[in-house]
Amino acid sequence: MASTLFRNIQTVPLLLYPSAFFRRKNGALYCTVKSSSSSSVTQTQTATQEKQQDPQIKVSAQTQTKTFDKLMKDYEAIIGIETHVQLSTLTKAFCGCPYNYGAQPNTSICPVCMGLPGALPVLNSKVIEFAVKLGLALNCKLSLNSKFDRKQYFYPDLPKGYQISQFDIPIATNGYVDLDLPMEFGGGHRRFGITRVHMEEDAGKLLHSGNGSYSQVDLNRAGVPLLEIVSEPDMRNGIEAAEYAAEIQRVVRYLGISNGNMQEGSLRCDVNVSIRPIGQSEFGTKVEIKNLNSFSSVNRAIDYEISRQALLHSQGQGSSIVQETRLWEEGSQKTITMRKKEGLSDYRYFPEPDLPEVIVKKEYVDSIQNSLPELPEMKRRRYESMGLSMQDVLFLANDINVAEFFDATIAKGADVKLATNWIMGDIAAYMKNEKVSINDIKLKPQELAELIASIKGGTISGKIGKEILFELIAKGGTVKGLIEEKNLVQIVDPAEIEKMVDKVLSENPKQLEQFRAGKTKIQGFFAGQVMKISKGKANPGLLNKILQQKLNATS
Amino acid sequence: MGSRAVLLLVGPSPPKQNILFLLNYKKVSSAPSIRRFTTKATADGSSLEPPDVARLAETARISLTPQQVEAFGPKIRQVIDWFGQIQAVDLDSVEPSIRAGTEGDDLRHDNPETFENREAIIASVPNYEDPYIKVPKVLNKE
Repeated sequence: MASTLFRNIQTVPLLLYPSAFFRRKNGALYCTVKSSSSSSVTQTQTATQEKQQDPQIKVSAQTQTKTFDKLMKDYEAIIGIETHVQLSTLTKAFCGCPYNYGAQPNTSICPVCMGLPGALPVLNSKVIEFAVKLGLALNCKLSLNSKFDRKQYFYPDLPKGYQISQFDIPIATNGYVDLDLPMEFGGGHRRFGITRVHMEEDAGKLLHSGNGSYSQVDLNRAGVPLLEIVSEPDMRNGIEAAEYAAEIQRVVRYLGISNGNMQEGSLRCDVNVSIRPIGQSEFGTKVEIKNLNSFSSVNRAIDYEISRQALLHSQGQGSSIVQETRLWEEGSQKTITMRKKEGLSDYRYFPEPDLPEVIVKKEYVDSIQNSLPELPEMKRRRYESMGLSMQDVLFLANDINVAEFFDATIAKGADVKLATNWIMGDIAAYMKNEKVSINDIKLKPQELAELIASIKGGTISGKIGKEILFELIAKGGTVKGLIEEKNLVQIVDPAEIEKMVDKVLSENPKQLEQFRAGKTKIQGFFAGQVMKISKGKANPGLLNKILQQKLNATS
Repeated sequence: MGSRAVLLLVGPSPPKQNILFLLNYKKVSSAPSIRRFTTKATADGSSLEPPDVARLAETARISLTPQQVEAFGPKIRQVIDWFGQIQAVDLDSVEPSIRAGTEGDDLRHDNPETFENREAIIASVPNYEDPYIKVPKVLNKE
């Protein structure tokens, strides 16, 4: 981590990557540390070109971090995020063309989405349903009457020359999202406001050719429905922003309205960053950052931009911060200017004449409200009340499938903490190794419950349990079935264990001598041997008790 | 579809464009309140700003000669004033509507339908280099 910092020192004699040294007033430390992570936010840093540190540079960097810390104490960052969620409807927003990510270019097109003369849009009812679901999940006020507007501009990926969107009467406004920051970053509960949610259509894909004389357009994506979520400028640093984005992803996945994948483009975030001296009520100049492809780049880009702006302020060059759009460059880990725009965009919004008013009835909204699944925030609070640690809570609630698996397991009566441990431990490890989701494994929740009960009740030992688990995950089957088939029932009959102990002691006279001579650790060897002949079934506690007795008796 | 307001002026009937199209709107980033029309109809004609024809042509990507810019200004003004007669109506006791028309929902189900004549669409693309539509390189929006 520190060496990345020093790498940058060589090019620009300033702290460009201060996140490691960035502290907040309340003392929570944020540092992009590697974590064992349950949260999708804390991805380990991409491999950076770590060079050997020059000791001299190291010294000067440390004095600079002190100045930097001092600087940041005087400023606060104001961050807002605009998120575009690509809906997983079967067809596009205004025509019946199907949408499949990765399909051959220009195969899913029709006169409507191509913007050909005379074609008229007809709204997909699922889009309204998904919009209402999201609005309710984000605690918004729904506009029972809203409309579509044309946002007009010319660009090669926009066939009609305008985008059908919602301008002044969006379908949902004034909401909020509650979340918990990951434990690695100090934890803590946050509530961030949502200004609005509106429906709109996506543009096609524009690819620029290498040699620069022409570009290529694929209109498969033109007309795909999007929901745009605009947050209140409530976030104050990269971690809060990244976790907000992660929570939006969780919510849309929980609702089943989008697969919320940043890498595939079904979840896109643009952030707006400004800083102002603490105590000032006016906002500073806002800078927009685009090209963020992961939660960790959201985090890093924002921290970089905050430090860039703070530095300019500290050098008396605050006025050189202009309202502009910058791109996050993953390779160099900094934001760079896009070509500056002249003047504000004039989209000439007016109501879309080809589409009627969007009318949503209260009964419809109520029925959707009643059909909403338990949302991430509710799950987290419920798990917390069950006595689980925040770390466990965040892991289990992160993926709706894992949460459902967990809920099903404890519904069968399994002990909560044990179920958590199995899921977060062996099961999660398997999923990670084989790169599968919890829905793909052959283990069923009731079998996990059965396994936990069998171990707890003493039918099988913990060690055997672990072995069965692997087989259940990979091949399926039932706990009872496997126990029977492989004859795994734990041996708890003292007489039987005694027989085995006697056998082992008599077959290993040399080790017995060593024990008597004082090498007490050899008891472990005997225990191991008994385990071996019992095929792992001897109850360890009982075994050691009996072994102890026998060894002491004979000495 | 593409609003060719200037060209339509040449024809006999007034264009069906919404009057709002010709008023200047700046991009608003946060949720704006509903627009209210505050201009009042006056006896000697509209008190709206005169049209900036050069700018309108630029935003509509229509090239006009300086003579055309000169000539179209008053013509556009005339059309706006013609619509401006609406402002004489007393709206004090009328509930503002969100948009014109009250047809209500016209929705379709989320059922995929493949358009059967894709070849004709592709054939009419001026510059097609399979499988992409070839366009001049444009890096900046607007």
